[in-house]
Formats: sequence, C-alpha cells, structure tokens
Amino acid sequence: MGTFVTIDVVGPIGAPAPSDARDAAIEQAFDWFRQVEACCSRFDPDSELRRLTRTVGEPVRVSEMLWRALEFACAIADETGGAFDPAIGGAMTARGFTRHYQTGAESPHDAATIGATFRDVHFDHTRRTVTLGRPLLLDLGAVAKGLAIDLAAHDLTPWGNFAIDAGGDLYFGGHTANGEPWRCGVRHPRRPETLAGTLLVSDRAVCTSGDYERRAPDGGPGHHLVDARTGRSADALISATVLADSAILADALATAAFVLGPSDAIALFARTGVEGMVMDEDLHVVSSPGWSDALLPHA
Amino acid sequence: MSRVRPTHPLVALSSAAVIAVYSAGYLKTRAAAAKFSDAPAMRRPAHVSASGSVVAPPTEHDLAPVVKSAPAAAAPAVIKVRTKKHAATTESAAQSSNLTAIAVVPQKPDTHEPPAPAAAPDRPAVDVAAATPVTIAAPPPEPAADTAAKSLWHDGTYSGWGSSRHGDIQATIVIESGRITSARISQCLTRYSCSWIAHLQGQVVDRQSADVDYVSGATQSSNAFYGAIVDALSKATK
Repeated sequence: MGTFVTIDVVGPIGAPAPSDARDAAIEQAFDWFRQVEACCSRFDPDSELRRLTRTVGEPVRVSEMLWRALEFACAIADETGGAFDPAIGGAMTARGFTRHYQTGAESPHDAATIGATFRDVHFDHTRRTVTLGRPLLLDLGAVAKGLAIDLAAHDLTPWGNFAIDAGGDLYFGGHTANGEPWRCGVRHPRRPETLAGTLLVSDRAVCTSGDYERRAPDGGPGHHLVDARTGRSADALISATVLADSAILADALATAAFVLGPSDAIALFARTGVEGMVMDEDLHVVSSPGWSDALLPHA
Repeated sequence: MSRVRPTHPLVALSSAAVIAVYSAGYLKTRAAAAKFSDAPAMRRPAHVSASGSVVAPPTEHDLAPVVKSAPAAAAPAVIKVRTKKHAATTESAAQSSNLTAIAVVPQKPDTHEPPAPAAAPDRPAVDVAAATPVTIAAPPPEPAADTAAKSLWHDGTYSGWGSSRHGDIQATIVIESGRITSARISQCLTRYSCSWIAHLQGQVVDRQSADVDYVSGATQSSNAFYGAIVDALSKATK
C-alpha cells in the first residue's frame, strides 16, 4: 500500500484506561496493515497475490484474506459493469505504473495480461480455490487499504473512540475527546486554500479518490485510475469521496465512482445506500441526497 | 420515519468479508499483542474477537504468508507517524479543552460561538451553549505523562518540527498569558504546497491544542503540522 498510517485512540470518555493495554491494541491494529500488504500487494513479488498470479489455469488455495479481498473486488467490478476492474494490471503497467510509488519496486510488464478482465478470475466456493483463466495482473489497491482499515477498526472498537487515518482514507469510531463527532475535511482537488467540505463523522469511513494523488509516469495527464472498459484514464471526475459504514466499501466505491463519472457514480451511491460527493473538471459538485446533512455547516 | 431499504449485496458482502478475515486472523493478532503487553499470559486481550473469546484453530484456508518483519532498508509499507494517546484530563485542562470544543468556528478565531447543533448526527443531547464542560463524566486524572498539561505553557515563541513522507514542516507558536495566541507554518519543506493545510493554523488557536482536523487528501501535511505543533508545545511546557 505504501501508506503512512496514523491511529488515534481516545479511549472511552470518562474512564481512565491503562496506556499499555491501549498501546497493545494500537499495535494489533497497525499489524493488520502489514498483513494486508503482505497478502495483497501487487508490487511485492512474495505477496500471496503475486504468488497466485504466477499460477495460470490451475486452482490455487488462498487465504481467507485474499479470498475475501479478491471476491469483493470482483463484485465491485460486476456492479460497475467492468468499469472498475481489479484485473487492470496490464493496462496500468502499459501506462507506466510499474513501480510501487514509495519503494520503487518493479512489477513485470507482461503483455499477455493486457485485455484480461475480472471475469477471468474463477472462484470455487466449495473448495475455496481461485483459478485464473489466463495470465493477468491483479491490483487490489482499491480494496486492500479499506479492508486493513476495517480490520484495525475492529481491534479498536472496544476502545470506543478512535480515528484511523491511512493516507487520506479514514475510519472514525465514536467521538473525539470532547464528545463531538470527528471532523474530517475533504481536500479541494484544485484550490489549496479551501476545503471541499468538512464532514462530521462517527462510526463511519471516509475515502477519497482523486487525480492529485498519483500522476502517470508516462508524463501524460491522468492518474492511476483507469476505466477498464476503455483502458484510458477516467477523466470525467477529478475527485470522489464516499462516506460509508465500512472503509472497504467506501474505498472501493470511491474508486468505482471515479471511473464511472458523475451520474453513474451518484446512482451507485444510491443503490448501495452510501453518501458521496463527486467533482468534475469544471469544479462542479454533485452529491448524494444525504451528503449535505453530514457536512459541517458553513460559517 | 426511517426508510427500510433492503441491504445491497455489496454492503452485506463488505461486512461479511471484514468479519471473516478478522476471525481468521485473530490468532495472529493475539500473537502480535502478546509481544507488547506486560503480562501476556494473564491479561485479558484488549479486544474481543468477532468469533468470541475462543481462539480459532488454524484452518487449511489460513495460508496467509508470513508477515515480513522487514528492516527499514526494505522500505516498509507502513510507518507510524503519530499515535495520539489521550489521557483522561485533569479538571483544569478539561475546562480549557471544553472551551475550545465550544469555540470551534472556522475562519473566526476570535469568537466563541457554539457549533450549530443540528449538524451533528446521532449525538447525545448536550447543551453546547453552556460554558460547562462537555465531557460526560469528570474523569480522574491519569498519572501517565502522555498529555502536556495545557495550563503549564510558558509565555514565549516556540518552534517545532513535524515530518511526513512529503517533507517536513516547521510550526511556530506564540504563548501569551498561558494561551496560544498564534500558530503558523514557519517553514514549509514539503513537496506539496502548505496552502492545503493553511486553515489548520487557526484551529490551533481556536482549540488551544494541536488537535487539528484531519484532511482527507492532505493527511501527510496535516500530520506533519500536528507533529510540529506538538513539538513546539512540548518546548513551551519545559
């Protein structure tokens, strides 16, 4: 994932808590990020995901974590008609996204994987095996971070009040030390002096997909979010933010929204019962009906 | 009044995925916790697993790879930037922190208006207009020195540094009569402009603390600023 993770545990309001138990809970929570990375990284050649993609045409027994992440990513792909597709590795690699953007590790550019889709990933629910129908590169970036956040949140839920920030995708449990909902500003994609809004959040996740996070190394405009139906960078939107009950859902839907474009994104939010906001190149904002209720009112 | 809508399959799938993975990994998290707790054998775990307190035996499906304990040279994917451990506050600190909770109104650092109560969903009814503490119960003071006592800031100008993967930020604060009267980014060495987080400067004064908002999309810089303010405040308490 290559993400800085911040965990902020307020603890139960009004009750003292031994700090070493809290430290243990925080360490456990952090450990999920390492586990998810080891399982789902597209760049680490020893990750379970990479080991899976080295076996084509045969069933592979996978861990519960990889099974669930892959299954969910494919379900999102199905829901979006293939616009979002975890089997996008080939198209991304062709555009130059071969390096882990923090570590610089290379992933192989395998021409044979271009054109593969999520429909080439076959799940055997009885035997819990995955069979790849053809060579493909899998990218679980839109799912893995959200999953890690939710797992960490599970560890911290007994502490009531906490915040997890994984490089701009967040989960907020309970309230702040002052008993208020957590405040989460959404960065405006183009105007440094302003926020696109500030959300009041309690027991929910906030995830943002935007074109300002990573630029394509081939120098062209665009980013790492590709419309798998066309192979080109999704360019109708410059930002998509989702507020949902879980980070795995918010993360995946924000990514999916970005590639779907404004009207399909809002329809997706409505179908899945989340709140969300998208902004286009003209800085025009479209949001779900309940989005403004979640915002801090402007002064 | 509440709408009843069937849960979308994706929502159910997302919940099931997290619970299944959490349960499968519970064995590993207990091992990780044991490394850090003082009395691992006797102490109750800090959390309860989704499948109950019984440790699930490893299954054939549990083929998760060994987690690499990578040295720094291998560029670990996860680095802790900050863990904020909120100790239960002393009464005097509680009063000042509660004043700042009431005082948060962006762009108007000199007012102490209560935030609009209508915006907060699912909150217990709290009389935010009153100047009484907002915390639900008066907690006993915790002996740990995690939190700098706000009432002990010495007047003066202090600078601190915070870091992020995009670069470092220096913040400079001014303490007058024991209160933060200004907080600004004095050096911005981050790759991206600090104007993304300029609004956080006023929050430090409003809240009389380093607890500025998260900014989805600019968390690295906001974390660095937070660290810089914490560093500066630590100098003000010496």
